Amino acid sequence: MMFKELDPLLHSQLRLAVMSLLIGLESAEFVFIKEKTNSTAGNLSVQLDKLSEAGYLAIDKSFKGKKPVTTCRITKKGVKAFEDYVTALKQYINK
Amino acid sequence: MEAENQILTTQQSLDIITKMIRQAHGNVKKNSVYLILWGLVVALANLGMFVLMWMEYPMPYLVWLITVPAWILSIYISYRHGKNAVARSHFDRINAILWYSYGVIIFTIIVFGYKINFQLNPIILLVSAIPAFVSGTIIKFRPLAIGGILLWIFGILCFLVGGPWQYLIGAVAVTSGHLVPGLMLRNNPDR
Repeated sequence: MMFKELDPLLHSQLRLAVMSLLIGLESAEFVFIKEKTNSTAGNLSVQLDKLSEAGYLAIDKSFKGKKPVTTCRITKKGVKAFEDYVTALKQYINK
Repeated sequence: MEAENQILTTQQSLDIITKMIRQAHGNVKKNSVYLILWGLVVALANLGMFVLMWMEYPMPYLVWLITVPAWILSIYISYRHGKNAVARSHFDRINAILWYSYGVIIFTIIVFGYKINFQLNPIILLVSAIPAFVSGTIIKFRPLAIGGILLWIFGILCFLVGGPWQYLIGAVAVTSGHLVPGLMLRNNPDR
């Protein structure tokens, strides 16, 4: 079955993986997300920016000692979007 | 996960969601170090107290000084865990609050122990039952939840028996309630 009506921002392999991962976490660093989603740094960076621009993610850049660290967490808007996506998915499955 | 423009099917979407949610469960095994450390230290202190009381040593309570390095080690391990953590789950936060609160309560009981003639063991065991049971239930690790129940039962037993036997019961209680579940968690390949 193919989809067209689902949130296009979430209906993408890596972005959906990122959101599914972060929904169960308070926050996660870029390296953790990269490892768990098995993605490349470049691609992940682009997708995180897209999710951040939509207000689904909050991205915080800081330092751990001298090392720059990017930390991501899902926002309320992101949680709502994810829930709506899952609800829509259920409807398709139950059809 | 490179094919960004690929259209997902319901099954693929579900697979991604379930796989990633499973990944977010995190590593609860790292918490086993505290259960093992404190299970061991408190069991040894209880046994030491039991033996020294039988030997009629005038200051058997000095054996509890072995908990001082355990506190320092716990704070150091906790600092290292925090520094190296690349992700923080909701469970991590709840668990940390639960065990920190427990630490504060235990500290308070010990400080004001003189008000109740240092009859601390039953109370400490009963209070210890809460974080073990709740933590074990949240992470669905039955040995720890059962450990919590055992701490409660041994706490009641401590009220019923007096004198040095309380300390022998205390040693058995923390071994079964903290040490053994901690070792089982550490050696569990699914965690």
